[in-house]
Amino acid sequence: MTECPTCAASVANDEKIVGEIFPCPDCGTELEVLTTAPFAVETAPKEAEDWGE
Amino acid sequence: MSSGPSLGLFLTIVRPEEKAILAAAESRGVRLVRFDDRDVTFGLERPEGLPPVVLNRSVSHTRAVYAGRCFEHYGVRTVNEPDVLELAGDKVRTSLRLAERGIPTPRTIVALSPEAATKAIEAIGYPAVLKPAVGSWGRLLAKVDDPASAEQILEHKEALPSPIHSVFYVQEFVEKPGRDLRAFVVGDTVVGAMYRRSDDWRTNAARGAVAEPAPLGPELTELAVRAAQAVGGGVLAVDLMERRGELVVHEVNPTPEFKALQGATGVDVAGRIVDYALEVARR
Repeated sequence: MTECPTCAASVANDEKIVGEIFPCPDCGTELEVLTTAPFAVETAPKEAEDWGE
Repeated sequence: MSSGPSLGLFLTIVRPEEKAILAAAESRGVRLVRFDDRDVTFGLERPEGLPPVVLNRSVSHTRAVYAGRCFEHYGVRTVNEPDVLELAGDKVRTSLRLAERGIPTPRTIVALSPEAATKAIEAIGYPAVLKPAVGSWGRLLAKVDDPASAEQILEHKEALPSPIHSVFYVQEFVEKPGRDLRAFVVGDTVVGAMYRRSDDWRTNAARGAVAEPAPLGPELTELAVRAAQAVGGGVLAVDLMERRGELVVHEVNPTPEFKALQGATGVDVAGRIVDYALEVARR
């Protein structure tokens, strides 16, 4: 369990892996998993102009 | 840790696609060596311990191309190869290559100034579509309905800071039946295809289009494989539209997402990609 850096809601690690992107269940901010043990997240990188398929 | 074969995975973030690739590798006893495109550095000397093949899944086109060139320098094969990324990542070059190979594609005119773009739009006719030469997910696409909107859109594009926005890629607007098609090609095989339905004229999954499985008819499979091979082959998502009863190829995506296609078709796309990378490693 850790805190969303935007809204401080509790965020659980339900089988997430390092680098995974997921929305905060409370505020919807996209978060990135930094480490799993201990579980730590930060705001996901912002989409850049050259991002895509 | 597995003692089986190893592959590299060059990535920015772990999307459902990369998570599926990691799981597919694990289930095959393949050790995946992760390279984070925000951390990795490339010297001129070849480092020790590199895997024979790297899956290039960076979400950044620029990083993917330069990393691909560095891995190539080290003698490491990448899926896809940097030549493929450069060609398919550029709509102008892709259109030229499709035309050279006789692959049906929407009518397209390239212009290099707003004045020339105005002429190109007039020649294509209204409505026309303006696309950035490099870009994805339907970003900064514009449907140009009349001369007034052409003038406004061109003025806005000219004001954008990157010079790439002053390359004007003008394409006919295809009146498609509320959907387009995506065929996912791995090597010389179409592993699955889907319709992307949307009320919006842009039918990108990233814009909320709904995915449905599409039958792998002979016209679709032949065109998709030809289009993928035209840009150099590998793992490619070929986007097609139905234009008056025929299929036309409008994009070939070199770092394709496949969550929607895997969900719609049930095809283990991630597994096919890992198997293909292992095959490349054996060549």
